[in-house]
Amino acid sequence: MVSDILIDVFEDGLFAAIAAIGFSSISNTPRRAYLTCALIAAAGHSIRYVLTMPDFGGLHIIPASMVASFATGLLAVLFAPRIKCPAEVCFFPALLPMIPGMYAYRTIEALLSCLYHTREEVFGHYFYLLAYNGLTCSFIILGMVVGATIPVFLFKKLSFTATR
Amino acid sequence: MTSETTVLSAESGIAGTAAFLADYAALLAGCGATCIRIEKNTGRMASAFGLKFDIAVMPAHVYVTVRENDNGESCVVVRKVAACGISFNLNALLSRLSWEVADNRLDLVSAVERFDRIRLTKPTGKWEVLILTSLANASFCRLFGGDAYAMLIVFFTTLAGFRLKQIMLEDGCDVRLTFICASFFSAAMSAGGCIFNIGATPELALGTSVLYLIPGVPYINAVSDIIERHYLCAFSRFMDAAVLTVCLSLGLCAGMFILGFKWF
Repeated sequence: MVSDILIDVFEDGLFAAIAAIGFSSISNTPRRAYLTCALIAAAGHSIRYVLTMPDFGGLHIIPASMVASFATGLLAVLFAPRIKCPAEVCFFPALLPMIPGMYAYRTIEALLSCLYHTREEVFGHYFYLLAYNGLTCSFIILGMVVGATIPVFLFKKLSFTATR
Repeated sequence: MTSETTVLSAESGIAGTAAFLADYAALLAGCGATCIRIEKNTGRMASAFGLKFDIAVMPAHVYVTVRENDNGESCVVVRKVAACGISFNLNALLSRLSWEVADNRLDLVSAVERFDRIRLTKPTGKWEVLILTSLANASFCRLFGGDAYAMLIVFFTTLAGFRLKQIMLEDGCDVRLTFICASFFSAAMSAGGCIFNIGATPELALGTSVLYLIPGVPYINAVSDIIERHYLCAFSRFMDAAVLTVCLSLGLCAGMFILGFKWF
């Protein structure tokens, strides 16, 4: 049981790390920052995964994302001086694997379904899906960004002297 | 502004310093730095040069005002934000330059020389980005619960779509049109997984196949700018990102409709 959970958490962290390296490369991140981005992404995504597990309280994905993003931002601020990069270089790519892509996709899917159906009860169903997925997606992104940005402003001196 | 003009202006006192600081701020803004970083880095260098300094960061331009402390002579320089694309490498190099100027008391000519060298920094290799992005999007699919087939579909559709994006941007196509085409291409290819029932989670492959196009950095920068009350820049960044998100959604929908894939 415990080993299964650990394997799941490890797998989640591993794929988040690969995703972070890929998204780092799109943003022309210095190669020396890849490993740090990957480790921070793995830690952040694993924290969210654990927080949303029913065995660990089953936190809703919105607060779980915010807590995980805060941890991501904190780790980025702490590790950025080691690789002589600004904190955002570390936490931007590390945050991207947490973007709620499927909620965004389902929002668009529901929007098109709304346009296609005219019967009130069917339209109402898809409108509910549109609102549910759209609001969840928006608030996850908002929570993520605010959560990750807070440490940068809390530890302003550390954040803005990382490249010194 | 070319590197030659920067070097020439470096020889002309306060106007040269203002031109350098404006060029620096414009490049930093173009590479995706937040407004607070632009203000801090540029202000740090102005202090090291012994000058009073103000900066206004606007969505498309930066306005730099430099004043001498003693006689009050001042100079205002406006520069267009550099169109260099998001680059954290440039961001890190420019931030380091600001500290070198502040801590090592680099003179203006040395600072300009280093700045010109930084400006010539090459971006990450396109093949490296292509492979890493495809792997990243396939991993993204796994994080959403996709199986091995879905990951494979996403890997290849991202490879194709991202390559198309690279080719179109190299040819100077409009970025919005590029996003629509790349998204359409990736979505149309991955819709094949749903049509032919490949694997257990083909719909996840379809949903994930366009996510490499999501402009995450401008969204995050917009919130950071809001926190520092740079509302104009925040709104501009948010709208840029929102337009691109709409474009990728359009491509996704068009790809699905053309292949006759229906949710209904």
